[in-house]
Amino acid sequence: MLIHLKVFRFDPQTEKAPHYDNFELQAEPTDRVLDLLEKVRNEHDASLGLRRSCAHGVCGSDAMRINGKNALACKKLVRDLNSDHITIEPLLGLKVIRDLIVDMKPFFEHYESLLPYLINEEPLPTDGKERIQTEEQVLRYEDTTKCILCAACTTSCPSFWADGKYIGPAAIVNAHRFVFDSRDRAAAKRLKILNQQFGVWRCRTAFNCTEACPREIKITQAIAEVKRAITTGKLD
Amino acid sequence: MTTTTQPPAPRRVDVPKNFETVAWNMMRYSAFLLIPLAWGHLILQDIIVGVHSIDLDYVAMRWDLLAWRIYDILLLAFAFAHGMNGVRQVLRDYIHSPKAFTVVSYLLLIAWFLISAMGAIAIIAGTRPA
Repeated sequence: MLIHLKVFRFDPQTEKAPHYDNFELQAEPTDRVLDLLEKVRNEHDASLGLRRSCAHGVCGSDAMRINGKNALACKKLVRDLNSDHITIEPLLGLKVIRDLIVDMKPFFEHYESLLPYLINEEPLPTDGKERIQTEEQVLRYEDTTKCILCAACTTSCPSFWADGKYIGPAAIVNAHRFVFDSRDRAAAKRLKILNQQFGVWRCRTAFNCTEACPREIKITQAIAEVKRAITTGKLD
Repeated sequence: MTTTTQPPAPRRVDVPKNFETVAWNMMRYSAFLLIPLAWGHLILQDIIVGVHSIDLDYVAMRWDLLAWRIYDILLLAFAFAHGMNGVRQVLRDYIHSPKAFTVVSYLLLIAWFLISAMGAIAIIAGTRPA
């Protein structure tokens, strides 16, 4: 099938404003959007800037706007778009470095601010091995361990578009992963950060994040659980 | 071999409450209270009594009962609190300075209090003998 591909192009070092380039490509319905972009780079314009790494939906580096919706280019098939016109744009809310590459630094700063690692200064159990958890304790936070930090959720959030200081859904998801982990001891510290003006209260439950997540994490639910933990102090 | 484990003790943390926590909770409480208050008002005024039958005599008769005055004050206070909180959320998108936003939040709180107090005074003192 013939695909009309429209790609956002912008080099802030040499251009004053972005523009779109159009390409016509032959593709199979089972081709991925990433395949189309690779084809453009290999056969039409090698200067097209985009991030990609594993190309199998694990590394999260090729998140972009595909026909207006955030998705991973390596997971989105041409047939899933139900159109032969495909528009590719960079993620919203983050500064464009070049073409489809955005500056992820603010995103990772928010992520790091919530201490996304296990904190437990208590001595190890008597056997010196591991801190055993029950199945229920693991299930409590299992969903949010699936995050691959692609930023599809945070950059689909209207509150983040309005003000990049908002900590964003991805950071909250990763805080959730440790707040509800029975082995962790820094929940109060994380929840205190999330209880600030640019923390969890900026979420307006638009559900864009949940729709955008390529790992199908129930993000809005996770955010609601964090809100409840702040107001009630209960972690179970 | 099977092993049994004690059910883990509930985990709790104490997160200091601040203006954001109170405002968020207030949005929920006011919405929850508005369900009976607004629906009760709507059913009484628009369906049972009917808007064309409402005049000063009716208001005076209704406000003869202190409970109705309290009801109306609560309706005003919670509906207005809910609305002001909503305005605060909208303004948040446009005010990027945390300090400015804190000032605006307190101004809205003061406005809510003053206007609710004025409304309450009017409801308590504003009837005439039937």
